[in-house]
Amino acid sequence: MMRPVRAYYPILPVLIGYGILFGIGQMVPGKWQLISQLAFFCALGQAFNLFMGMTGYVDFGYVAFLGVGTYGMAVSIYYLFDKGLGLTMIVIGMILAAVFSTLLSLAVGAVALRLRGAYFAIATIGVNEGFRFLIEGARIWNGSDGMIFSRHMKTAFGRETAMALSMKWADVIVFGVAFLAAVMTLLYMRNKVGYALTALREDEDAAKVMGINVTRYKLIAFITSAILAGLLGASAWALKLTYVYPTDVFAIHYTVEAIIIVLLGGAGTLLGPIVGGLIYGVSKYYLAIVLPGFQLMIFAPIIIMIIVLFPEGTVGILKKRVFGTPLEKFII
Amino acid sequence: MKKRGLILLVVPFLAIAFFVAPAHAVDSIVIGHPAALSGSYAKAGEQAVGGVQAAVDWVNSVYGGVNVGGKKVPLVYKYYDCESKKESVTSLLERLITTDKVTVTFAPYSSGLTLAGAPVAEKYGIVYMDHGGASDKIFTQGFEYVVQTIGPGSSYHVGTLEMVKKIAPDVKRVALAYEDSEFARSVMDGAEAKARELGFEVVFKRTYPMKVEDLTPLLSDLKASDPEIVIGGGHFQDGQLFNKQMADLDINVKLLSLIAAATLPAFGEALGDLAEGVMGPSHWEYGVTFSEEGAKAAGMTWIGPSQDEYVALFKKAVGKDMLPDYHAAEASAQVLALVLAVEKSDSVDSDVLRKTLGDLTFMSFYGGWDIDDTGKQIGHSMVNVQWQKGERKIIWPEDAQTAKPVFPKPDFE
Repeated sequence: MMRPVRAYYPILPVLIGYGILFGIGQMVPGKWQLISQLAFFCALGQAFNLFMGMTGYVDFGYVAFLGVGTYGMAVSIYYLFDKGLGLTMIVIGMILAAVFSTLLSLAVGAVALRLRGAYFAIATIGVNEGFRFLIEGARIWNGSDGMIFSRHMKTAFGRETAMALSMKWADVIVFGVAFLAAVMTLLYMRNKVGYALTALREDEDAAKVMGINVTRYKLIAFITSAILAGLLGASAWALKLTYVYPTDVFAIHYTVEAIIIVLLGGAGTLLGPIVGGLIYGVSKYYLAIVLPGFQLMIFAPIIIMIIVLFPEGTVGILKKRVFGTPLEKFII
Repeated sequence: MKKRGLILLVVPFLAIAFFVAPAHAVDSIVIGHPAALSGSYAKAGEQAVGGVQAAVDWVNSVYGGVNVGGKKVPLVYKYYDCESKKESVTSLLERLITTDKVTVTFAPYSSGLTLAGAPVAEKYGIVYMDHGGASDKIFTQGFEYVVQTIGPGSSYHVGTLEMVKKIAPDVKRVALAYEDSEFARSVMDGAEAKARELGFEVVFKRTYPMKVEDLTPLLSDLKASDPEIVIGGGHFQDGQLFNKQMADLDINVKLLSLIAAATLPAFGEALGDLAEGVMGPSHWEYGVTFSEEGAKAAGMTWIGPSQDEYVALFKKAVGKDMLPDYHAAEASAQVLALVLAVEKSDSVDSDVLRKTLGDLTFMSFYGGWDIDDTGKQIGHSMVNVQWQKGERKIIWPEDAQTAKPVFPKPDFE
């Protein structure tokens, strides 16, 4: 059955939000890197929220998907740069990122998604470190030496194009990933995947009794979220920064950042990760400028306070405020 | 009429003055630095910021400012905290370049963060000075504005091997055992290349994982190869373990040199007599004897404070009784390189500065400074430290030494 178009109205504020952000980046000179950093945080939150927000499961190994995605793009550029593939190499990189993150999420999900709550969190916490050790210990893709491929990009595309890919188009892809994550979240929310996930989030045993194959639906959300993370790693880390070291990409603090962004904005909401990403990114940026070296002393208590005082997140509160008003159909 | 005549007289002069005068008179030289003041590299970042500030204070208060455009202008230091995170490096660097309009940028600590900022500096065509990224690969990427002050990883054990070649030419058998990290591997590759170049025989070469807890199997194999020289290490913990387990297994060699461990005071405190005779390479150590006289003798330009003046300036800059380490010293030397480049070229234009830095050679309390065509540091020699009777002594190079090398190293008791 086709759902009425207005069920998809909530995508409008998402589109407007990213549109304004993109416009500021394009029109205000010298702000593109800040805007791309904010887009990265929003995309990270949006992709993470698709699984955590909809299922209530916290995946502490989430950054591993960004890591393997980064390697997907890096492997493509590093090994194919002299094959005359042109921009196809970037497409191959994105495909590899999606494939690597899918395979990893299948492997992790098949085991860990049979566990619940704290057991799931503990099972995933080792994935990140384990994968890093595997790459370093087995010397996969240069092991701990990492891959630095700025020269490869210049050889393949020429200096100007390589610079444009790194300093502009990689960020445009990040915007694309952020928007895609929002679209996927809304699509899931509006079909039976979303209903099943909501049911299992509220009471997994009851959902099971109702005949819902909870592992299957959790796996769908897990893989979708992982692919988005892989694409984000491929664009924001590999294509943009043109290098990858295992210790840099398999760094657990990115998972922590994703959790904070989702909680600040509101877990399980569509607009939450954008609001959370903006609050997190803008505060971090300006505190680093105003109080260099001391910003975390200010930032950490503020985050704790917000999360304790507003456990539903900023969008969670906003949803309550607009309930019964014409804005209701836009804010979820 | 008189008024119109005056205007007619003055306007041409004003027009000429407008076109002849420089578009932007230089009032200050501004250094922009997305420093790593928190996160993984906070310790090195604090030292680097203190080092830059100490050098800036010396330039402004003792040297009298930077001579450019026929006048002395002050040096200004603008830094933000990138939290040791790659995303923050790019956004803060762009802000420094476009909003703060800095003259030159300094990279944050570590090779990864240096690489993260390099495309931004290249995009804006601004000099990007690297005081903490030791990877040789940074300089094979075709970056045009990256200039290195820290010695590349491949040079760490070069001085150690040259010392052995000079004082004990009969010693031939070298074992290499390093941590499996990008940095330690680049040191190992450099050491291997230098060893072969100098005619040493590499009898053992292996890496061990990071955060290793037992090196006995590796050291047993190493012992079987019967080396005369053992060089390796990676970080403090594994370096300490390396030394202790060599003693446990009674592996006595003529020279043991461990990177990033043996140069730290805590190494000797932790190992006591077991550290006796153990060496380690460092970019700079308090006590080196580089001086103005030494620079003159070597035919090099000298700039900067003496070592003791520098230590006092550093303590004032950080506001505590902390000695500067090599992270601080190399950041300071980078400031001095910038000052000389601006004065030599009489310009703050990035392309002119980059070219001038390429032609620059000088000496300071930090030692020599010179870069190759790619921007890689080739003029700075590592100093080698050795534990002698519970104290760290600088034993190599000879013009920096505070004690003669103890060679062969005493056996473990």
